[in-house]
Amino acid sequence: MSSRRSRSRQTSSSSRNITDDQIHDLVSKLQQLLPEIRNRSSDKVSASRVLQETCNYIRSLHREVDDLSERLSELLATTDSAQAAIIRNLLMQ
Amino acid sequence: MRNLSSLKQEFLRKWIKGLRKYNSQKKNMNLLERKKAIKLSADLAMASTRNKATLWRKALVAKTSIDESNKNDISTSSQPKKIRKKLTNSSPLCRKRRRIRTVYKAKERVEASFIAKKMVQKRTRKLKSLLPGGKSMDEACLVDETLDYIESLRAQVEVMRCLVTASELFINPSPP
Repeated sequence: MSSRRSRSRQTSSSSRNITDDQIHDLVSKLQQLLPEIRNRSSDKVSASRVLQETCNYIRSLHREVDDLSERLSELLATTDSAQAAIIRNLLMQ
Repeated sequence: MRNLSSLKQEFLRKWIKGLRKYNSQKKNMNLLERKKAIKLSADLAMASTRNKATLWRKALVAKTSIDESNKNDISTSSQPKKIRKKLTNSSPLCRKRRRIRTVYKAKERVEASFIAKKMVQKRTRKLKSLLPGGKSMDEACLVDETLDYIESLRAQVEVMRCLVTASELFINPSPP
């Protein structure tokens, strides 16, 4: 009885919810892509955990891009060494 | 992994081309302007790799062209957020549907599966907010877009990391 209800609920909201198959797909592909996740997971990884790890990973990548852009900007601003001039020529001209 | 290294090469080529173009446009940028230029050219380079017409790529290109026009005016750099302000869930019909659904679910509210489903919904929304153009994606393509985006983002980060650490070592070699 509850399964009937949950099935009908699922069809009405399936366009809003990410399905189990998609989660499984995401997990297996992420495992190939990211060895860090591979070590920690077992067969039954919950969907919300996978989504959370994915979000955390994307956020950390964004932060790193921001940090690296800042460092590169500072590097290109240094004018007091010949090496800095070389790097600047390499990247900016 | 040969895909990753060719992706990185393509990114590096396009990024350096973009950096040079930015520098020729405006000499003597301050630190913040240069950082924005670096980031914009990196994002643009990432979005143009692989020639795939993914949603996130299109959204990222659109966003960088907006950011570019704001680049020279640092004080208005919060403008891109305005574009995403589309409230689609507040129509009266949606609200009524939501009320009906909550009546049915009253008994099962404490079930673990209900809570889990809510968590998945919440985190799916979070993921969508992190992807460029994610708000307009449906769940069917979300997974593929996410995987493609992560792969490209990772290539971008690894190339930038390599370049920055090598340059830092070159300019400031550690004392023997």
